[in-house]
Amino acid sequence: MSLPSRRAVITGSAALTPIGNDPAAIWQALVDGRSGVATIQSFDASQLPCRFAGEVRNFVAKQHFSNKDPKEKEAGKGLRKMARAIQLGLVTSKLTMANAQLERGQLDATRFGVEMGAAMMAIELPDLVAAAKISSNGQPGQVSLADWGAKGIDTIEPTWMLKYLPNMPACHITILHDAQGPSNTHTGGDISGLQALGEAFRIIQRSQADFLLAGAADSKLEPIVQARHNLFFPFTRRREEPERSVRPFDRDRDGNVLAEGSALFAVEELEHAQKRGAAIQAEVVGFGAAVDVQRNGSGLARAMRAALREAGISPADVDHVNAHGLATRETDLWEARGLREVFGPNDPPVFAGKGFVGHCSAAAGAVELYFSLLALQKAALPGSINCDHPDPECRVHVHTGVPRALRTPYVLKLSFTDLGQCAAIVLRRWE
Amino acid sequence: MRRRVVITGMGAITPLGHSVAELYDAQIHGRSGVDWISHFDASTFPTRFAAEVKNFSLSKFLPNAERYRDAGPNTLFALVAAKEALADAAIPTNLPRERFGIYLGNGDGASDFFNLVAAIAKASLPDRTVADVPTFTEAALRTFDPGHEYELEIHTTAGQLAQEFNLPGPNFTCQTACAASSQSVGEALQLIRQNDADIMLAGGSHSMIHPFGVTGFNRLTALSTRNDSPCKASRPFDLNRDGFVLGEGAGMVVLEELEHARKRGANIYAELTGYGSTADAFRVTDSHDEGRGAIACMREALRDSGLDPAAMGYINAHGTSTKVNDQVETLAIKNVFGEHAYRIPVSSSKSMMGHLISAAGATELIIIVMAMRKGVLPPTINYDTPDPECDLDYIPNTAREKWVDHVLSNSFGFGGQNASLIASRFKD
Repeated sequence: MSLPSRRAVITGSAALTPIGNDPAAIWQALVDGRSGVATIQSFDASQLPCRFAGEVRNFVAKQHFSNKDPKEKEAGKGLRKMARAIQLGLVTSKLTMANAQLERGQLDATRFGVEMGAAMMAIELPDLVAAAKISSNGQPGQVSLADWGAKGIDTIEPTWMLKYLPNMPACHITILHDAQGPSNTHTGGDISGLQALGEAFRIIQRSQADFLLAGAADSKLEPIVQARHNLFFPFTRRREEPERSVRPFDRDRDGNVLAEGSALFAVEELEHAQKRGAAIQAEVVGFGAAVDVQRNGSGLARAMRAALREAGISPADVDHVNAHGLATRETDLWEARGLREVFGPNDPPVFAGKGFVGHCSAAAGAVELYFSLLALQKAALPGSINCDHPDPECRVHVHTGVPRALRTPYVLKLSFTDLGQCAAIVLRRWE
Repeated sequence: MRRRVVITGMGAITPLGHSVAELYDAQIHGRSGVDWISHFDASTFPTRFAAEVKNFSLSKFLPNAERYRDAGPNTLFALVAAKEALADAAIPTNLPRERFGIYLGNGDGASDFFNLVAAIAKASLPDRTVADVPTFTEAALRTFDPGHEYELEIHTTAGQLAQEFNLPGPNFTCQTACAASSQSVGEALQLIRQNDADIMLAGGSHSMIHPFGVTGFNRLTALSTRNDSPCKASRPFDLNRDGFVLGEGAGMVVLEELEHARKRGANIYAELTGYGSTADAFRVTDSHDEGRGAIACMREALRDSGLDPAAMGYINAHGTSTKVNDQVETLAIKNVFGEHAYRIPVSSSKSMMGHLISAAGATELIIIVMAMRKGVLPPTINYDTPDPECDLDYIPNTAREKWVDHVLSNSFGFGGQNASLIASRFKD
């Protein structure tokens, strides 16, 4: 680093996930090895080839907003105009601030930033039913633009577009918490969550803010997005036992399921945190990003090495790797090659969160990292699930079974996209 | 000592031409790129005009265009602008690539309007408010095109660029609506300063000139509806402005750490000296009425550059031609620059090329860098009737010769995310 570096610690966190909506429930599911992947309940998925998904259960956004507080009341009223991913992100931001023991107005608004990961959001079918009926007879591709323009448009809610813009989770979060500092939304696919956190880390280091809410939110539980993804996403072909369907690094893995979730972290400059007596959960110590253009693991290795180098540690210092673990044939092999290149034969145990929740897409990195944050706090690594017969071709050691005591204070988290865009983060347990 | 970052290459494809040279030439001659929408039949839409990229075909620019047959306009425009920027930067083939990354402001892809709407219509139950999900699913699976659906995913553009041009460094995509590509350039600047990379391709690409895009903005009443004279519709700061005009395209710059650029003898266009990013934290539908976020953003960019406000020679405004933006932006400029605000020429490139949304900021950065180099500042066209609430020098209608050393570009996104960039004449 060419700059004198300020340190960034995590002083609050929260997640809404298919295995629970609070830390105790999530930890229990991890320890029990209980998957949240199940048959889709939120809509009739009978025509979908894959009817499994990781859904966030018992989530009623409205419950989280008090009518007594004017700002919360306003946010509660606005929920109708927010796609589910936005609602998940907004509620998680509120839980994260509470977890960081911060009241609104306690922070300097101009030094308070927001870095979110998000993806393209699926239009909800009812929003367009009236306009569609006016302008189409339902035959494939037959839509009268003349009718749509003359009569259809007027049936659509005025703020329709704002319900789905990827930057809206961040915008609503800035409004609810009066965060007027740096603000960005990462839309880099599966790496969005780690990039949001990595950029928040950089913003603290360069002193553009003292506190950021950083993380990601995504939901793939709409008919449109499920149908679209069935045309290109590597879904599992399993049709039974949904909880066993996502099998990272297992010999019998055959794909993934779509999911939803959100996880946010309160990223705070160390002295700022200490001054207010914050409870520190972990330190962000390294970040790296790259593209594995050759898809042979060398790019993944570059991102991981950059993160380790910044953390000032060697591969042997890592307690566990929190893997991307997409659970497709090709990508797990690809990832294993990258890990092998960095860690050699004495590789640390691997944890793969997607077996529990499926693929939270833009939120995957953040949700999975949240699992390791809990592991750092509990000083124990839960076993991954569904890796019953480790694939000998994936030369990594997936930890399964009962939780194992932490040996070192460091976790390395890796995420990457189908095109090889990758990001790695190193967290250190706070002692 | 902070690492310095310079601009060593630029590329643009816009409604004003297929290169940086054509863009700047049209800008200083005050030519409008606005015309009737040709991408789809908009004849009954509230707004029937836009600034489209004309005569576009990827095969004019890339020999392997067939590889991108499924790609949407965001990726196609990005490829073309990136190619020009990289060629312009004269990157040697033997340059080590590992610290060469991409930061792209990119929009959502354009959904398959016809098959999506038809599938919803087919599934619509007689009471008109609900769709039968299995019917919809079956129709969607049968009619949607897999290649197209995949290409809609926002991260694919930056991924394809990394593959096409072999840029394996840090790869980011951001989407902060209209601020996205000022933000991407600003964050790429920071990645180089903070030693995550030595050289970055940064910019933005976007088209929302499609039925859902025009529908969405029309519902928000954000677009001009001056259907009787499209070329006159984008009139930033004019009293009779009535909304913005959609544009499309891409702008890309090559940012490079100064010593890295010097070592290879690169041509240096300008130094990127300041970046600010703030949030209004006010409302998702309106900007803060006193310009709180915009003021903080420009101040942050000035602080970052170490410049005195009086040093600013030209401001390229966000200047969308909406009632509120132009009034609030004027207020904000006056707040930041005080009395000096009246001496700074301010103009809006959007008066000619419309609003390129996620591509606006980077394209406008290219314009201000050209203006600084050539000593000619582009005008705000269609400026006929002064608005008493907008009382700055907007370079009305005719370009102005002026030698300036520091230029500022503003971008303010829907939802209240703001980004400002400052470029300075390069001095050792």
